[in-house]
Amino acid sequence: MAWDKETELKLRQVIKDSGVALLKENLVQGTWGNTAVRLDEDHMLVTPTGLDYISLTPEDMPVVQISDPSVWSDGKKPTSERKIHAAIMQARPEINATIHSHPLYCSILASARIPLPVMSEEMEKLVGGECRVGAYGLPGTKKLKNGTVAAMEGRNACFMANHGVFCAGKDMDEAFEIIRIMEKSCYEYIKQCTLKATGETTYSDELLFDYFVSQFDEKGRKIKGNKKQKKA
Amino acid sequence: MEKIVETILQYAQKLVAEGVVGDKDMISMRSGLNYMYVTKAGVKLADLKEEDVIKLLIFKVDKEYLYHAEIYKERADIHAICQCYPKWVMPVAKAGATIPAVLDDMAQIVGPSCKTADDDVHSILKTLKGRNSCLVKNSGCITSGRTLDEAYTCVLVLDKASRCFVASSVIGENKIINGFEARLMRFVYKKKYSKKNQQNLSQLEEGEAQKESSAKEEGEA
Repeated sequence: MAWDKETELKLRQVIKDSGVALLKENLVQGTWGNTAVRLDEDHMLVTPTGLDYISLTPEDMPVVQISDPSVWSDGKKPTSERKIHAAIMQARPEINATIHSHPLYCSILASARIPLPVMSEEMEKLVGGECRVGAYGLPGTKKLKNGTVAAMEGRNACFMANHGVFCAGKDMDEAFEIIRIMEKSCYEYIKQCTLKATGETTYSDELLFDYFVSQFDEKGRKIKGNKKQKKA
Repeated sequence: MEKIVETILQYAQKLVAEGVVGDKDMISMRSGLNYMYVTKAGVKLADLKEEDVIKLLIFKVDKEYLYHAEIYKERADIHAICQCYPKWVMPVAKAGATIPAVLDDMAQIVGPSCKTADDDVHSILKTLKGRNSCLVKNSGCITSGRTLDEAYTCVLVLDKASRCFVASSVIGENKIINGFEARLMRFVYKKKYSKKNQQNLSQLEEGEAQKESSAKEEGEA
């Protein structure tokens, strides 16, 4: 172990607080989502699997080996997504904190597998350019892990196809700034696209709803002329 | 307060806190084979009190409770139902469309798709065949499960999947998870969580059995 107990205790609290903050800021639903923070070159603390962030204690966070995430100690059973956190930490030594979640507006672009263009200077600075979409893979698979690592190259965030978003920072505060700007930028993008599609000048959710409903006939089928949905 | 009533009140609060309710939401839980506890029609979940959760015989209910009663009669596997009106589900229900597997958690928790039924009991039972959730034309959604937690989770997932389905219409189209992978995820999820839910259910049934046994003892005394 190349870290002292005091640092570990501090980071345990950081990871506990990160889960609570994700919930408070509506960036996660229930127990779905996970965070990790680096302890040293080959170890990280992660959130446990399937437990709610409010009742978790700092001592519940397990220590996971980055070079072999199947190895873990202390705390409770780590998140099944730990392989992705480990792969990013291994590929990117400057990254010390990672967040994987399914915020509502990020999920829209992830489900459409559409990259998010740079929406602001802040996004450019924090994310490092447009946000790409990683290749689709079933949860827990090598395909999903490799797709995420590839999409993160030179970026601090990427979408995971039909799944959610992955964000990484030099520390947890920065990782949080990134997930916040991602959700805000996705919302702005949806607003802009709605106004473009409808020709209106003021956005409302109802405007988007009406546009959506107008694309279906009375039997709930897509009206001809609309592109057929592509299968993965 | 009875445990089952407490559970209903707790999940009503959770649904309200998640912002996935409208004005006419109703949740219920099965009690034994022939009864259900249900929230009173016309009472908003946000205003729900202990006395607003009533016990009804599923064979004799007013029309407001018909959907719940008929589902319990038809489906022995269902122990809890949420009838909700989440904001983003409403346009899909209005369009009468089917939500495809747009997200992994949709495929796992709800299934490879969620269809819209007509607003009548036969159509709802037919649409729910082999499934745990459906939308109701020009209305909201009905979700169910072996526990109320399962039905509640389905409401959250359906609301998020609907948001993706609706908003994707202005940015392109959803790329749908292929059928095999969606069914595989559903299978793995059901296997993984069936044990957990079965435990919850056993605890609940144990509670009911204890209650019945103490009531019997009191009667005998």
